[in-house]
Amino acid sequence: MADFSWDIRSPLDRALVAGPYGAQGEAGVSLTEIRDFDLVQVMARRGKAGEMMKAATARFGVAAPETPKAIGTADATLIWSGPDQFLVLSKDGKHSIEALDSVFAGSASLSDQSHARALISVSGDKARAMLAKLSSIDLHPDVFGVGAAAATSMDHTSVTLWRGQDRADGQAVFDLLVFATFAASLWHTILDAAAEYGVTIGHSEDLA
Amino acid sequence: MRITCPFCGERELGEFTYLGDAKPQRPAADAGEDAVYDYVYLRDNIAGVMSEHWYHGGGCRAWLKVTRNTLTHEISAVEPAAGAGAAKVGA
Repeated sequence: MADFSWDIRSPLDRALVAGPYGAQGEAGVSLTEIRDFDLVQVMARRGKAGEMMKAATARFGVAAPETPKAIGTADATLIWSGPDQFLVLSKDGKHSIEALDSVFAGSASLSDQSHARALISVSGDKARAMLAKLSSIDLHPDVFGVGAAAATSMDHTSVTLWRGQDRADGQAVFDLLVFATFAASLWHTILDAAAEYGVTIGHSEDLA
Repeated sequence: MRITCPFCGERELGEFTYLGDAKPQRPAADAGEDAVYDYVYLRDNIAGVMSEHWYHGGGCRAWLKVTRNTLTHEISAVEPAAGAGAAKVGA
């Protein structure tokens, strides 16, 4: 039998061209695709939500979100994705599905989404203005502060959107998880929406 | 029209899918053919306040029971349908 190995690459491998895009001058929007992360969907089994929450607190040192929030821990982000369910985003296998398997045994069902989603980090002066074209969520800082999250749709595509920690220069960061097969389509829509503000495009292996 | 999802908050209509009347209840196994026919096929076409099932597929993927006036689109109540948040339904 012929040797076969999967060629692991980002769903945005072809669509993403690093560098400037759109209007010239200082970029109003910064787009960074985050690659090579671990993402696990945790979903409580029937009647076991309490047990799942206890297991999560024991594992992560903080309570998992029960409302649309993203909670940062030392080495993971717990993102609400629906009633009695959340996503665990981490790196380097610290909270991979193998690592979490025994933690939630009996209380929750786990599903590995590491290679099923693309993660796009949006920041810049015009990040809100650009996202407002695509989303009906109120992203005003008074309403959608650091740690706010939403399971919503952009351009008819389901996304998980949350506000991460601000950048060192104080700029807001919006993180976006999108299904891998829809990632290129949403990426082009985002580029169209952002072009008038000028875009700087890159990718990174760091969650930050 | 906007629907206030009990889990997500107020969202645009595009995130939801309409199923229909939330009133019909599955008849007992021995209820007879007429009851099953009624449950499967017959629907009231209500001009006024109606209880409906909606699916928040573009958001938290929960099923909702929405009380809506079909004449004015005024929504008076939204609650999780039985089964939304599997863990909340019995043990």
